[in-house]
Amino acid sequence: MNQPRSLKTDYLKSSPHFFQLIVVAACFLCLLLFCGAILIQAPLLGPADPGVPPNPAKSAWFLLWIQELVSHGTFLIYPVIILGCFFVILPWLPVYRPAWRASWLPEGQWFVNVLTVVSVAVIIGLTIIAAFFRGTQWQYAWPF
Amino acid sequence: MFKDFIKHLFPRVVLKKNLRLSYTFCLGGLAFTALLSLLLSGALLLFHYQPVPERAYASILALERDVWGGSYIRNLHRFSSHLFLVFIFLHTVRVLLTGAYQRPRHFNWLIGCALMLLSVFSGYTGYLLPLDQLAYWATQTGMELFRSLPLGNFLYGVLVPDQVGGVSSLLRFYILHITILPMLIMGLSGLHFYRVRKNRGVLPYL
Repeated sequence: MNQPRSLKTDYLKSSPHFFQLIVVAACFLCLLLFCGAILIQAPLLGPADPGVPPNPAKSAWFLLWIQELVSHGTFLIYPVIILGCFFVILPWLPVYRPAWRASWLPEGQWFVNVLTVVSVAVIIGLTIIAAFFRGTQWQYAWPF
Repeated sequence: MFKDFIKHLFPRVVLKKNLRLSYTFCLGGLAFTALLSLLLSGALLLFHYQPVPERAYASILALERDVWGGSYIRNLHRFSSHLFLVFIFLHTVRVLLTGAYQRPRHFNWLIGCALMLLSVFSGYTGYLLPLDQLAYWATQTGMELFRSLPLGNFLYGVLVPDQVGGVSSLLRFYILHITILPMLIMGLSGLHFYRVRKNRGVLPYL
């Protein structure tokens, strides 16, 4: 696809117009971090004791979805690796033609859109199940 | 000079119609801001943390109780790490859903994937350092997951030559967490920004 030509008047200087957006976003995040650090305490339990395992023992929150997945069968790690490899080599797959301009949910890559949305939903779903709905012996349990 | 360097990272002009937040939501920039907060708070924590199994927990306790602002710095470091991982994840999803991984940005897509993996690994290595019950068992469980990967047992042996939380493993996690992984992440981030600039900026150009 050929890129349509833009007029000179369609452009703005990055400084200050574009930079203002970046600075506002960075300031907003800093404020969120500084306030969040006041409100949210980093947990510190008793000293590590290899003889006293918690029940259930859970991994770090960002790995919980893998723990939940592997609890249904160790072999389930392989579909995750295959899916990860598929995403990595996406630009080299001959199915998609490069567009001249990126846009949200482009029609030309509907399969990637669906696969991405489903993968994200599965990761978030598994994380929630492992974090809140797993009790002793890794049995399903209500959080309250 | 610093201002000129920052300016050089971005295109001199941008299309007026592209100057909106709804395309990127600044997710990459937010992730980098969180990374800077992590580096700063982490550097302050280094003054008090002792990477020895007998003293690691005590040094965190001392930081929380005796150091002015120590508890706040630790909270900031942890909260920044959470947001950093969330932003990196969302940024990757955004790149996929906008097709921005396609050529000519394919090389930057690879760098981004490597950055995400390194960030998760960095978060994981940092999890053990306080050596409390939460840290110990989360790392122990994570290592068991690690062993289910191909070559997992070999990598386990490299990371944990003695036992989780032992002298050697704590030292290896510490070195990885404070030097090797941050250097790799910062180096690749620089390359990532350079490639973004080479590929005509962060706005929806391909």
